[in-house]
Amino acid sequence: MGRVSLLGYRPWQGTLHGAWMTPWPISRVALGMVFRRKLFWLLYLLGLFHFLVYFGGIYLFYQIDIPSLAGSNPQVIRFWTDTVRAIQEQLYMAGTKETYRNFIWLQGYVVMAVLALAGAILIGNDYQYGSLPFYLSKPLTRWHYLAGKFLAVALFVNMLTTLPALVLFAECALMEGWSYIENRADLLLGILGYGAVLSVSLGTLVLAVASWVRKTVPLIMVWVGILFFGRAVADSLVDGLGLDARWRLVDMWNNMYLLGSWCLDVAPQLESGRRFITRPQPEVWEAAVVLAAVCGACLVYLDRRIQAVEIVR
Amino acid sequence: MALIELEQIGRRFGNHVALHDVTLRLEAGRIGLLGPNGAGKSTLLKILMGLLQPTEGRGRLMDVDIRRGGIQLRRLIGYMSEADALVPGLRGAEYVALAGQLYGMPRGEAHRRAHEVLTYLGLEEARYRRLEEYSTGMKQRLKLAQALVHDPPLLFLDEPTSGLDPAGRDAMLRLLLTLGREHGKSFILSTHLLNDVERVCETVVILYRGRVIEQGRTEELRTSRYDRYRLQVEGKLGGLVDDLRAEGVQVLSATRGRRAVSLGPEIDAEIGENGRLPVSELIVLVPQDWRTRLFFTLADNRGVVIRGLQRDDEDLEQIFHRKIQETGTTEAVRHGAG
Repeated sequence: MGRVSLLGYRPWQGTLHGAWMTPWPISRVALGMVFRRKLFWLLYLLGLFHFLVYFGGIYLFYQIDIPSLAGSNPQVIRFWTDTVRAIQEQLYMAGTKETYRNFIWLQGYVVMAVLALAGAILIGNDYQYGSLPFYLSKPLTRWHYLAGKFLAVALFVNMLTTLPALVLFAECALMEGWSYIENRADLLLGILGYGAVLSVSLGTLVLAVASWVRKTVPLIMVWVGILFFGRAVADSLVDGLGLDARWRLVDMWNNMYLLGSWCLDVAPQLESGRRFITRPQPEVWEAAVVLAAVCGACLVYLDRRIQAVEIVR
Repeated sequence: MALIELEQIGRRFGNHVALHDVTLRLEAGRIGLLGPNGAGKSTLLKILMGLLQPTEGRGRLMDVDIRRGGIQLRRLIGYMSEADALVPGLRGAEYVALAGQLYGMPRGEAHRRAHEVLTYLGLEEARYRRLEEYSTGMKQRLKLAQALVHDPPLLFLDEPTSGLDPAGRDAMLRLLLTLGREHGKSFILSTHLLNDVERVCETVVILYRGRVIEQGRTEELRTSRYDRYRLQVEGKLGGLVDDLRAEGVQVLSATRGRRAVSLGPEIDAEIGENGRLPVSELIVLVPQDWRTRLFFTLADNRGVVIRGLQRDDEDLEQIFHRKIQETGTTEAVRHGAG
């Protein structure tokens, strides 16, 4: 062990902030730890690829000027006309409310993969390596700690959903002009609303699951179980056995989708152009109640789980 | 204003009583909290840090009510845990700065102060290493750094020498002594190592089974500890034992071979007439200022030979047991008188 420095100990005189500031450093450290993983950036690039497809589609939709093609080869005109129609009516990339709903919904799959990786790093490691007593021995409560972790999860979710959706909105506004913002300002609220639904639901769910299983591989298994197995069960019960549409409420992902559709004021049955399927769905309020109950249960579980940690052994 | 004032603090977990009737008044300074596992040290620290509510009693830490303080209490305290409690993936300076920010320091100040404290603790060159690469000694200093970062008036140090080699332990204790003596830091050193407390602390509190069985200056504890010796004696014991007792020595036990020998008049009854003198072992408590030379003088007077002489001082566990016995006797006398 080395010697104490000759510089000596110097007292510190300053004012300490209240506990309300503590979630920020907690989330910053959590983000930093995830950003150091190459796998995270790989998944993020995957998410960006999807975004680029939408970005390109919107660009094409606004840039293809059919009347200016008059005089060209009829086949060329037909090709571009079909392309525009496909973008507008089948792929829904024309900057409509369906564009954002479908984009965020599809991005959700990447979000799930990112959270499965991030969950273990964000909170599982705190149990595994004894970091929780470090946090909780400081002047903060377990709710400040959870708020810090939740902020980090919310940032991941929004980095992949809300933020690119807002970029697409900005692209449409640039292409169409000020009138787009004037006429579609409600879409901004819808995008933020869908982002908030995903952040809150996925955030509490992933924190609860990560504090339960702690390690990455089991976390991925449980995560997949909740989101994919839930969907398979719901589809089998409702579509296969013809049971009441409320059985679809076991599918958390569908509940988020219903609420997101409601935020953007889109009919939930519409999934994508050619695959227009009228599926029996529960009411939006029922999905909201189920999500709220699941989030509440997750918070109660997290509270108890953290309370059980021995800070002084 | 006392550093800590507790009045009849108690804490129960169901039927288990973790703390019972703990009344303490501790002035600022270097305080040792001693006790074996399960004595209630951790429960007491949790109550003082506002992490646990006492089920009975009341108290104040630096004039903050321990029942209502919570966050305010932990802002006054720098806590160094016994367990590693590190955040994997962080570097030393980042870890200490994070602790500073969690204590409420502004970000820039926390970083500046983290470097300052790490330099003071001799970790200047290891500041940018990842925590996983730190040795045990370095981790201990790092944990001390994160407790010191916001310059708290009071430190709680939970087994700070745990896992250290003798040199590391010595360095840590010197560091604590310097912090206490030269920089006026008050601390509570929670440990089961009596020697650590003796070296560093001015005041000592001994907990046993949730009760305070001793509280006072370390000097007093030191003088109350009896010096014990283990004697290997060849020859008849009777006369020597009488002489030792006459000099104020308490003979605790005698063994011959593996068998315990009665300390009464029949002490030499088993010695045969064949002239063979067996070797016996005596464990004795000697009074203050005892000179070991006296053992030899007394043995010589009685014609016995001392084959071996070893110090066998009371360890903490034995002091605990003696204190408990004394406490029990005192209580019995008090009840009898009542």
